[in-house]
Amino acid sequence: MCKNEKPINFKPPRQKAALDDLDQYVNMAEGRMSRKVFWERDIYEQELEKIFARVWLFLGHVSQIPKAGDYVTTSMGEDDVLVVRQKDGAIKAFLNTCPHRGNRVCFSEVGNARGFICNYHGWSFGIDGALRGMHESGAYEASGFDKSQHGLHEVAQVDSYKGLIFGTLDPAAPPLKEYLGDFAWYLDTLLDMDGEGTEFIGGCVRSVMKCNWKFGAENFAGDVMHAGWTHDSGAKAMLGGAVPELDKCAGDSYHVNVNGHGWEFNLDKVGNSATFGDKEVRRYIHEIQPKVAERLGHTRSMMIGSISSATVFPNMSFLPGQNTFRVWQPRGPDEIELHTWTLVNKSAPEEIKERYRRGTMITFSPSGVFEMDDGENFEYSTRSNRGRVTREQDLFLGLGIGTRIEHPELPGNVFQGQINEANQRAYYQRWLDFMKAESWDELPQR
Amino acid sequence: MTITTEIAGRSAVDAATAYQLETFLKREARLLDTERYDDWLAMLADDIHYWMPSIESRRRANNGGATHLPGRMAYFDDFMEHLQKRVARFKQPTAWAEDPPTRHTHVISNVEAYAGEAEGEYLVYSTFVNYRSRVETDNDLLIGRRTDVIRATQDGLRLARRKIVITQTLLQAKNINTFL
Amino acid sequence: MTKKVFLIKAAELRPGCARKIDIEGGDLALFNLEGKFYATSNLCTHATASLADGEIVGGDCVACPVHFGEFHIPTGQAMSFPCTVDLRTYKVIEEGGDIYADLDEESEEAASAI
Repeated sequence: MCKNEKPINFKPPRQKAALDDLDQYVNMAEGRMSRKVFWERDIYEQELEKIFARVWLFLGHVSQIPKAGDYVTTSMGEDDVLVVRQKDGAIKAFLNTCPHRGNRVCFSEVGNARGFICNYHGWSFGIDGALRGMHESGAYEASGFDKSQHGLHEVAQVDSYKGLIFGTLDPAAPPLKEYLGDFAWYLDTLLDMDGEGTEFIGGCVRSVMKCNWKFGAENFAGDVMHAGWTHDSGAKAMLGGAVPELDKCAGDSYHVNVNGHGWEFNLDKVGNSATFGDKEVRRYIHEIQPKVAERLGHTRSMMIGSISSATVFPNMSFLPGQNTFRVWQPRGPDEIELHTWTLVNKSAPEEIKERYRRGTMITFSPSGVFEMDDGENFEYSTRSNRGRVTREQDLFLGLGIGTRIEHPELPGNVFQGQINEANQRAYYQRWLDFMKAESWDELPQR
Repeated sequence: MTITTEIAGRSAVDAATAYQLETFLKREARLLDTERYDDWLAMLADDIHYWMPSIESRRRANNGGATHLPGRMAYFDDFMEHLQKRVARFKQPTAWAEDPPTRHTHVISNVEAYAGEAEGEYLVYSTFVNYRSRVETDNDLLIGRRTDVIRATQDGLRLARRKIVITQTLLQAKNINTFL
Repeated sequence: MTKKVFLIKAAELRPGCARKIDIEGGDLALFNLEGKFYATSNLCTHATASLADGEIVGGDCVACPVHFGEFHIPTGQAMSFPCTVDLRTYKVIEEGGDIYADLDEESEEAASAI
């Protein structure tokens, strides 16, 4: 090969790996993006600052902490937080760290407490985060210590939407309702089928994947296409047959997105619910659909269990009707903690809730017949980028460019056809918006 | 001299029975190591309940510090039909995460056997080390303890109940593509 | 011999509530449990904390506001970690709507407790 001759579709390494290149890293008009956003540490550190320290993040479900003093621990980016029900019923969240020497304050995942005491020097905090006392308190009094100035660091804003608790570390963030925007219309399909609300089944499955956090999130935002191929083995095991070719009924299926939040779906009513291979769950969806139609209209009633998936930007995802509910928690550019729960309608019969618990477990948990194949995809899509030259090769994300439509009923940006990458593009466009914006005012509405 | 051991009113089994139960568990481990899943299913009773709860870290003051409770999120909470579905996936040529195959080793130890609650059943405790390797660098280690009910039938011993309790609350692996 | 001191008027402390009362030689915590008054020393026996600022739990215990250990109010007995030393109790005397404590006597419950 002569030295000027280069293989097509091959880029030599650039010397510069800089944040001011971000526009080149994500070119959604062309459906092209850099692999660096999945690998480089300096980009990741910026994500923690520009995204996770600013946006509204999922913290938990109100059903996890019904009584005063009930708490769960979770994280916002890599910041550990403690989410606590207050005596007046409100919910507060605090950084799970003692303001004295920084030790972790609460070591359990879930429980009920009158307060939290740091193991190091016995600083004791009420469930409201206020510093109540310290071991050897006399010594502090002698040095003029003002307890009121040394409570737990409180998460700037906490709010909930129909049972889902969110928090933001940014006092300047707009209200949650505004952050969700028109996406709330879609979320009601999951959260407000009958006005009775939803709940988490007890417990949480937590596992580690050695992948970039965005792979799971983008997958749930829009990638139903992988199901037919990646999950062929799971589908055959659970249903005795392959996933149907979804492109053949594109007329009844959509990608919709609002400010980076994405929901891909068709209107088959029970496709996701059918993944359990459990007739009773399908029957349940068929039974409740007419009532949901009265409340939310026909279209949304056909989404309650249809083949679909969704992500609320940046890292909360779920499968409607299948009811796995999860957060992709970043732990470095190449590792996540995956936290999964099962969400059910509070009004569902106990037997149906139990079927959902078993169903999500056997399909989308670390032992699940679907998730096993996802994990390997996400991990190796991340790990290949350790190659210095590999990392320079762009990735394709251009499926369905030009499929945008106007729809009389569906809010947000609507795209025809479920086999699409429109939501993933919107997701990375939003990622880019946040990475570039110095303030909320600079963020465009998308 | 006869040594009798009792736990909660149950007698330890005699040496010959203990040997049979231990051999049963070792054989099971070998079948899993070699992906002989149909043969493994044949070692299970039709009414098998196979449970591996998700482990929670709680303060001792809450639920007595219990790390797991029934009816909560789990890795396995299976009856025969569920286990058969899991095995069905392993057998698909499109089970991508199984091809090339994962290399498994199940090490079983601390076997302790007592008479069970029902006639012909044994309560058997054991511990396990499961080491899985895949492609070049994926190596996953799981360690835990099991509480089994093993039943003597006309066709030989059958596993009727299993509870698997691992040490990790945050599973340090992307999947559990095996049985424990 | 008695050392009777006036605390408050009964009407000033509602059932389910507690109040710190300054007396000579230290503070006292007065509790109203469903209309019956109990007095204990106010300082937690474990660390520096005012028990009158604690929460009444389970009907007849007070949880210390600092480390959340509990005391049985009528007898002063330390009930839960980290409290191990019982509280001093005082006999309460009600007279015509006024509440007094006898600083030389324990509560009847404490006196009869084994």
